[in-house]
Amino acid sequence: MIKETFENGSEMFVFFSQLRGRPLVDEKGTHLGKLGDLKVRLGELFPKVIALLVRRPREKKPLSLDWTEVQSLNGDTVRLKPGADKKLRPAEVNHEEILLGDELLDKQVVDTYGAKIERVNDIHLLVLNTDLHIVHVDIGIRGILRRLGWINAMDAAINWLFAYQIKDDMVSWKFVQPLAVDMRKGNLKLNVDLKRLHEIHPSDLADILEELDQENRNRVFKALDLQTAAETLEELDPRLQVSLIESAPAARASDILEEMAPDEATDLLADLSDDHKQRLIETMEQPHRETLEELLQFGEGTAGSVMTKDFICLEDDRTIGDAIEEFRKVRHPLDSISYIYVTDKEKRLEGVLTLRHLIICDHAAQLSKLMNTHLVKVRPQDDVDDVADIFVKYKFMVLPVVDESDHLEGVITLKDVVEFKR
Amino acid sequence: MRARWKGILIFLTVAGPGIITSNVDNDAGGIATYSMAGSHYGYGLLWSLLPIMVALVIIQEMSARMGVVTGKGLSDLIRERFGVKITVYLLLGVVLTNFGNVIAEFAGVASSLEIFKVSKYLSVPMAAILVWLLVVKGTYRSVEKVFLLACLFYVTYIVSGFLAHPDWGVIGRSLLTPSLDFSSGRLGMIVGLVGTTIAPWMQFYLQAAVVEKNIAVRDYKHSRLDVMVGSIVVTVVAAFIVLTCAATLYPAGVEVETAADAALALEPLAGDYCAALFAFGLLNASLFSASILPLSTAFVVCEGMGWEVGVNKKFSEAPQFYGLYTLIVFLGAAVVLFPGIPLFPVMYISQVINGLVLPVILVVMLLLINNRKVMGDYTNRRVYNCVSWITSAILAILSVFYLFTLVKV
Repeated sequence: MIKETFENGSEMFVFFSQLRGRPLVDEKGTHLGKLGDLKVRLGELFPKVIALLVRRPREKKPLSLDWTEVQSLNGDTVRLKPGADKKLRPAEVNHEEILLGDELLDKQVVDTYGAKIERVNDIHLLVLNTDLHIVHVDIGIRGILRRLGWINAMDAAINWLFAYQIKDDMVSWKFVQPLAVDMRKGNLKLNVDLKRLHEIHPSDLADILEELDQENRNRVFKALDLQTAAETLEELDPRLQVSLIESAPAARASDILEEMAPDEATDLLADLSDDHKQRLIETMEQPHRETLEELLQFGEGTAGSVMTKDFICLEDDRTIGDAIEEFRKVRHPLDSISYIYVTDKEKRLEGVLTLRHLIICDHAAQLSKLMNTHLVKVRPQDDVDDVADIFVKYKFMVLPVVDESDHLEGVITLKDVVEFKR
Repeated sequence: MRARWKGILIFLTVAGPGIITSNVDNDAGGIATYSMAGSHYGYGLLWSLLPIMVALVIIQEMSARMGVVTGKGLSDLIRERFGVKITVYLLLGVVLTNFGNVIAEFAGVASSLEIFKVSKYLSVPMAAILVWLLVVKGTYRSVEKVFLLACLFYVTYIVSGFLAHPDWGVIGRSLLTPSLDFSSGRLGMIVGLVGTTIAPWMQFYLQAAVVEKNIAVRDYKHSRLDVMVGSIVVTVVAAFIVLTCAATLYPAGVEVETAADAALALEPLAGDYCAALFAFGLLNASLFSASILPLSTAFVVCEGMGWEVGVNKKFSEAPQFYGLYTLIVFLGAAVVLFPGIPLFPVMYISQVINGLVLPVILVVMLLLINNRKVMGDYTNRRVYNCVSWITSAILAILSVFYLFTLVKV
């Protein structure tokens, strides 16, 4: 058994499961209760324990005691400073504080490094000087065995049988986002900074959301910034897309839709109830609103329903320099702007340029002189299957969509078609 | 009118978990018990299926409600509220009883196909592979469709019931005026009927299946209907098995102990078709339950322990899940094939553990469903809570009583 000392300069690891339930004694050795839980204030990289909750027989609710009242941890007791029993207060948990036993142990957390949901089997704490810090959460089988009290027997058995030691499986606290909730606002209690959550690839984040129950899913989604929320939403199953968008307040929902690729946003809107759809479109800002309203007119499975409005288009008397300028201004995904479209004065589509033109041609050169006029175009009402055949045949990355009078309506990227077919 | 169609449509998308869970209940062990009840006591115990149905609805409704409201499985909730110790020991019990049941299912496959002159050394390995492939290669939605199809085949029992020409007048009278004769044999049989109908694994499976379907809280009433339909269907099927045996075997004085015995005994008394349908029903039920029980076990354990779960994952992504599932399927099949392994003690131990685990699960469920932190506004209403506590108490007492009768034998 570990015998922690607890003096200045000491460094020692201890598990929460080994601390919980320990008797608290004062300097004379009088029993004051048991350690019920530890309270931690989030916000630091490896946050400190700020208080302990004391369980006493005959008292239903635990009392709180500041961690500074702890004199020492010695083996199987926690020794308190003189007069600590006078400083017990009713326990309350603030929104940036978390109870290790109540809100973390046995609960699910997001491991932002492995991009997975894990269950916390134990919590690894570091005794540093007179402070206690969280350093890891234990997600491995050792954590379970330790809490069952089988760890020593099992270690001995496995070692005897296979000459092998079961390994610890821990996640550093800096990668852990707990799913504990601030009851006042219904928000997640956030670890250090949200960046970690946003560093998870949207596809992985979507997998994580799919695995969570509805409430936690909504809360994690609520904690994401608009752009990450939009990218993650694009990766999700339509049923979950609808339930997440419905759970968000209208203002945030329409902001997220604005961030999404217009064709994805249209598909999502089409799945919503008519009132809800109308409400979201009305709260949206121009030009997003107009774009989506246009896209919504096209039926499912048509080219119009999968096309996007994210394209670059210039008139034929403009120059390469103008095109580069235009290119700098837009923030569209790269796959939809790998071509630059050229129109005449009446906005009729005439030709196309590639990114290569922008890089190698003279800035003063006029677009009409350089453009390729052999175009393959599709109509908004064309079937997506036919569009897919065109992609297969010509190996294009993007196809322009035009109306009867050759006006450019939008573009379809290979990715859009692949996603639709899947 | 449009609203009604919409309601039916939602019901169809939500339905499944309750109907499937209930039907798995009529597995090899269940059919054996019903056959015994019919052949030993005639129509005398038919009435007891009605209170059992009510209890089934009450217990399963709570499981479905917890699944819909929390979006979490039962073992997940137990782990979060009661900690790792209770979870591990409870799951250990569930794994052992489920394993016993899986063996019984494969034994059911073997004996039903032996009636059709298929060797068990062929039928059991084939069944194990079939079951394993279905789950490992299928997705939840396709698997659910296969399962729902399997539910349809239970109709064979209803057909064989009609073929047995039961005396409907006597049936009606015995349902309306139940003979409350609680001699020890009859009481033991009733306890057996309860024990085979309400088992720990169902609570876990039903809740997990509801969660997997992502049913919204506003569609909960459809999910409740699903549970009720399932419980009624299961009771009707059970009743037809009882009355088939009661109409034919009971007057002839043939007392059977297993479902396959019943099918064989039916042949001279009720004709080839009736017996063949009965045996086919047994095969269907055994295969069906043999696919669901191992799956449910693997789900429950992995969820409670925090391991990756799901039929949609690859083997390397969820090794514990597939490992456990595979182990239960093939070990269960192997036990039936090994000539030296005595089946009776294995089943016996599994039934004893079943009786020990059920009361604990019922109490845990009631504590969870009345916890506002877990259920919010969807905790039990007061009257309903009384009813469910009383039902659970009766079930717990019966299962402990069953335990004593088992230990005494």
